[in-house]
Amino acid sequence: MIRGWLREPLVHFLLAGAAIYVLIGWFGNPYGPTDRTIVIDAGRKAEIAAGFERMMGRAPTDSELDGLVKRWLREEVLYREGLRLGLDADDPVVRRRLATKMDELAAASAETAGVSDATLENWLETHPERFVDGGTVSLDQAWYASEETARAALASGRVVGNPISLPRSVEAMPRAEMREVFGLQFAEELAKLAPAPDWQGPIPSGFGWHLVRLRARDVGSVPPLAEIRQQVEADWRSETIVERRERAYRVLRDAYSVRQP
Amino acid sequence: MRKALLVALACTTLAGCGSGIGPRASEAQQGDGENTIKLAEFPDRPYWGDTHLHTDISVDAFGFGVRLGPEDALKFARGEKVVATTGLDAQLDRPLDFLVISDHSDAMGATRRLYDAPRLLVGDPTLRRWHDMMHESPEQSQRAVAELITAAANNQIPEALRDPVQQAKATRDLWTNHVALLDRYNEPGKFTAFAGFEWSLMPDGNNLHRVVMFRDGSAKTGQVVPFPGLDMKVEQLWDYMEAYEKNTGGHVLAIPHNSNLSNGLMFEMTAPGGVPMTAEFAKRRAGHEPVVEATQIKGDSETHPLLSPNDEFAGFGVAGWELGNLPLTRKSTPDMLPGSYVRSALLRGLTLEQQLGVNPYAFGLIGSTDSHTALSTGDEANFFGKHTGVEPRPGRAMEPQNLGTREGRYGWHYLAGGYAAAWARGNTRAEIFDAFKRRETYATTGPRMVLRLFAGFDFTASDWDGDWVRTGYTRGVPMGGDLIDTGKAPVFLISALKDPDGANLDRMQVVKGWIDANGEAQEKIYDVAWSDMDGKRARVAGKIPAVGDTVDRANASYTNTIGAAQLRATWTDPDYRSGQRAFYYVRLIEIPTPRWVLFDAKRFGLKLPEEVIEASVAQERAYSSPVWLRPAAKAGTGKT
Repeated sequence: MIRGWLREPLVHFLLAGAAIYVLIGWFGNPYGPTDRTIVIDAGRKAEIAAGFERMMGRAPTDSELDGLVKRWLREEVLYREGLRLGLDADDPVVRRRLATKMDELAAASAETAGVSDATLENWLETHPERFVDGGTVSLDQAWYASEETARAALASGRVVGNPISLPRSVEAMPRAEMREVFGLQFAEELAKLAPAPDWQGPIPSGFGWHLVRLRARDVGSVPPLAEIRQQVEADWRSETIVERRERAYRVLRDAYSVRQP
Repeated sequence: MRKALLVALACTTLAGCGSGIGPRASEAQQGDGENTIKLAEFPDRPYWGDTHLHTDISVDAFGFGVRLGPEDALKFARGEKVVATTGLDAQLDRPLDFLVISDHSDAMGATRRLYDAPRLLVGDPTLRRWHDMMHESPEQSQRAVAELITAAANNQIPEALRDPVQQAKATRDLWTNHVALLDRYNEPGKFTAFAGFEWSLMPDGNNLHRVVMFRDGSAKTGQVVPFPGLDMKVEQLWDYMEAYEKNTGGHVLAIPHNSNLSNGLMFEMTAPGGVPMTAEFAKRRAGHEPVVEATQIKGDSETHPLLSPNDEFAGFGVAGWELGNLPLTRKSTPDMLPGSYVRSALLRGLTLEQQLGVNPYAFGLIGSTDSHTALSTGDEANFFGKHTGVEPRPGRAMEPQNLGTREGRYGWHYLAGGYAAAWARGNTRAEIFDAFKRRETYATTGPRMVLRLFAGFDFTASDWDGDWVRTGYTRGVPMGGDLIDTGKAPVFLISALKDPDGANLDRMQVVKGWIDANGEAQEKIYDVAWSDMDGKRARVAGKIPAVGDTVDRANASYTNTIGAAQLRATWTDPDYRSGQRAFYYVRLIEIPTPRWVLFDAKRFGLKLPEEVIEASVAQERAYSSPVWLRPAAKAGTGKT
């Protein structure tokens, strides 16, 4: 139970927030309007150098680092004075940047976390509609330009059809492909027929009218996890990221009362 | 603790951190797809795709505001619902079968990195200004990118953004993650994800862009990085492609596009710079660039009314785009047109072949979107715009475009984009890439009509009664193929089905180009089948009556009460001359339908000017790859 809790990113998120809160309480806000000491230690310089290296693909020279540190210091001084004056309060850029960073913080652990088979099994069970394979159909069809000729052909018992560049017969064709080849209307009309050894119809399509011998229909099933593990994991992951963002937000949001007079 | 948090925050701001981790692709997904699925004996259906899509790692797309990345693009293309950057739900009615994500190689990921970079590290004043504009507002962000494109066209991109060594390093991590992601979404038999990039050569703003498309999985594509295009020569791209093929054993091709914005430079009679074209140059071009993207959001490049004055269907998707080059820094003049459109390029190819013995412009045709929203939307009723600034919203149809602002290009000039169809034996990287390579492809302006043709010398109408596909492959060649002159007129079996969910067909035409006895290039359009051809629409004085128009402008609707569900023809060239060099391609034309502009007008309750309404009804179309008729070797005048 405790182990599960420890892996929970929301807990990390809250702990990190609590820790910052405690630290700030302890040492005072490092960027607080009253703090007038700026420490540029080796760690800070390494951070600045690393930032340069990420952008430029090489370490800075000594004089470049010198310049970067000066620039950093200048910005830090102005930044603190800006905070002191409350300039961050109504700046939409600052607002959006900070909000985005908080969001990404909440999602980061979900992007990298490992995931157990049990979690994915559960995901598959609770979201079967996303993973069901569409099934297949086996049928013969004869196309007619008009409904009357189709009906007459059915009544006469001689089902030949007019020439058209559509498959006359398909064997275990995935339903998604059937929909692509024969079109949406045909797929919808076909769904209303029951498999039978005789010709049925006519049913309309984007092309005209069809007599159909629906020999078999497999409605499709949810494959076992082993076959689609990757797809399930990808789905779980992207959904979980969104959900964790939202949950993290709700926790913070609930601490506010919002009035809209 | 604070430090750990800072590191975590820093990490989330860097491309690469946290991404690329996830489920691993299987062995079958990682490769080129050979021997992974059961293949049909002959190509049995067209597979639909978009080979030209930008996401948030394109320098301009990100700046235009897109925040959807390659993973969203892949999900969307295979049919899933995603939320577009501007907040609307986006989903395709029908999934695509394949996708090439083709983000710009120049400064790949750079705007995203620039945006994410701590401001203090952005030293260059121009970059720092763009950085600030991108953070300020979507409008400012779009302005920054317009400046960036103009700067690129004028060779004024800040050094920090284009230094190739730096860029290659920055691109490496991004690309490694990217090709691994593509493998994960590549599912042989279901959905094909190709690695690719756009190579954006643009001298003086004249568009010489290519999409580069790989056949292979990450084991091979991960050995290279996308090759920058600005300030390069096209021969350098071919060098890069040859080196890739030699070093990895893989395969790669390049797809020129937007020749309509090249001011005559895409298909020149000479090599670049006006020097005479050599056979070697022609051979490299034809070998590396087997297909051309003939239609997309930024206009259609089939032909221009001034080039084809006798073609009543010329001029589709030309308005606005014909004015000049990509950023409209230079206007077009009529002498530039033959180098800007594909039909005239195919003709030039015949002439050059006569001179050099090699045809540099023997290319097949495809369509694609060139969308910069990470959403491959080619359908008129579901158009998400050229870039994020013009995702669905009331003003987008009538506003000037970002490129060539106030120079006469407006939102309504955008087409909804096209798609590529590839005849293949199955849906794998190898099968679809090889279809491109043998040019067994066709372009559509969006609808999914099924177009098939075979050319040979002994086909007859009775071939339709049997297994005509087998007949076609065994006694002739499919689209994209070569016929060697035997002294007999070529015969074509052509079959067209309407888009099953779309509009009926007006007519099917063969476009023939040839070199006449005087060495002059000629073109002619033959109507070979059309709806009601023996009834109400029988020829009158050699001309076919128009199909009619059922479009309800106010409701953005039409009815299939006119036109045909399918057309077929067995056609023999009536003007064949022995020894003639010629190409033949099919143009298939739908009945008139509403364009995206009318759907917008209905959705947002817009009042459009009359001329815009009339320009918003169009006959969508498909262009097959040509079949070439070549003289037998001794009849040629070249040095073959």
